[in-house]
Amino acid sequence: MNTLLAILWKDLVSEWRSRDRVVAMALFAFLVVIVLRFALPDTDPDEARRLAPGLLWVAYVFAAILGLNRAFALELENDALAGLALAPADRGFVFLGKALANFVLIGVVQAASAVVFGVAFSLDFWPIAAPLAGVVALGTLGVCSVGTLFAAISVRTRYREVMLPLLLLPLLMPVLLGAVSATTSLLHEGRVPFAPVQLLVVTDVTFLIVSFVGFEFVLDE
Amino acid sequence: MSARPVPLAPASAQPASGVDRLWAALRGPSGWLLALLAAVWLVSVARAPIDSVQGVIQKILYVHPPLAFAAYLGFALTALGGAAFLWRGEEAWDRLARSSAEVGVLFCTLVVVTGPIWAKGTWGRWWSWDLRLIVTLLLWFVYLAYLMLRSFTEGSERAARFAAVYGMAGLLVIPLNYFAIELAGNRSIHPENLERGSLGEGMGLPFALGAAVCLVAFVHLLARRAEVERLRGLLAERLALAPRGQERG
Repeated sequence: MNTLLAILWKDLVSEWRSRDRVVAMALFAFLVVIVLRFALPDTDPDEARRLAPGLLWVAYVFAAILGLNRAFALELENDALAGLALAPADRGFVFLGKALANFVLIGVVQAASAVVFGVAFSLDFWPIAAPLAGVVALGTLGVCSVGTLFAAISVRTRYREVMLPLLLLPLLMPVLLGAVSATTSLLHEGRVPFAPVQLLVVTDVTFLIVSFVGFEFVLDE
Repeated sequence: MSARPVPLAPASAQPASGVDRLWAALRGPSGWLLALLAAVWLVSVARAPIDSVQGVIQKILYVHPPLAFAAYLGFALTALGGAAFLWRGEEAWDRLARSSAEVGVLFCTLVVVTGPIWAKGTWGRWWSWDLRLIVTLLLWFVYLAYLMLRSFTEGSERAARFAAVYGMAGLLVIPLNYFAIELAGNRSIHPENLERGSLGEGMGLPFALGAAVCLVAFVHLLARRAEVERLRGLLAERLALAPRGQERG
């Protein structure tokens, strides 16, 4: 548990000092939103409301991949990854620390880009802000769990920036399915039905367990 | 100035692990069994009744789900081989994982090809963004990514470890695929999973034979693929051991 907090603290502090990952992710997410807006020039508010959940999650996932790609970049320098591997602690908690740090950073970006998205597509997210945040948190937990695991893998392959989305996107399918479906109901009816949340929770728990166990074998040097 | 070629010992001269011996034993018989079964199966499909609504295109039923079973089996063995490799550290298990991923991708490709042929005849269009179809496509992508991960990772031990972890994570898609139709509720237009008694008279035998053909074809291809992988490892080992100047012919 101390390992978890130490890693989380280290990642957040180093990010606070440089702020390069969050800024890069946020700019990228804004650009994706703007590109989507320009790709759909004549959308009226009704249509925007219909398309919004899918588009929002496209922006979220793309931005998350950008950030996850850098999740272990700092560790790669000076062989800090070997240090993490040798740390006398359960590697599962190293994983949880990294994943939680990613979760926080991506969450900040998501909140900012939701505002930009709302402005670009003339949607008002404010009345449903709290349940929407819950749905986004559940979805992002799934993204961050396997995302952190695969980032640790892809950072040590050739073409690492390409490898991560190739590994991650097909497996994110159940997460996206649940998240988009829950966001849609939230936007249209103002409430979240049980089924997509159930799918999200089940997927999150499974992904967390798999990544917690799998990380043990990924760090081995 | 050609250097003496590095002699490749016959496969039997090498100490082989239990998995390797199993493949060697299966290689010949499975080929003969496949030829025999395929012939019987073709006859039984030809004699099976023609669907009164869909016509002859319905006979793809005797190919399409059996291919999917073989693909599932391939991906399950990929995960199993990966898990066994992480646990025991024996290369033979990794070869099993890698070979069955490749053979599984082959079968999955055939599933994705035969499906639209039926769909064009029955639904009137090649593809529908139905949950079952999407997840099958994603399963295909997962294992293509698996194979890419292997070729993009340097160091065979590391590649095996990474691939084992990914292969086990990818296994999560299979139950999602199988239960996709129930998950989608009544919005799915893909036919439901077969249950006992859902096949009409005269359809059971060709379907069972189709499943047997795909299973034996899977075993046969896997045994051959695993042998190639073993010889490749052997060759790499010998080239590494060969004295300087002999590594290139």
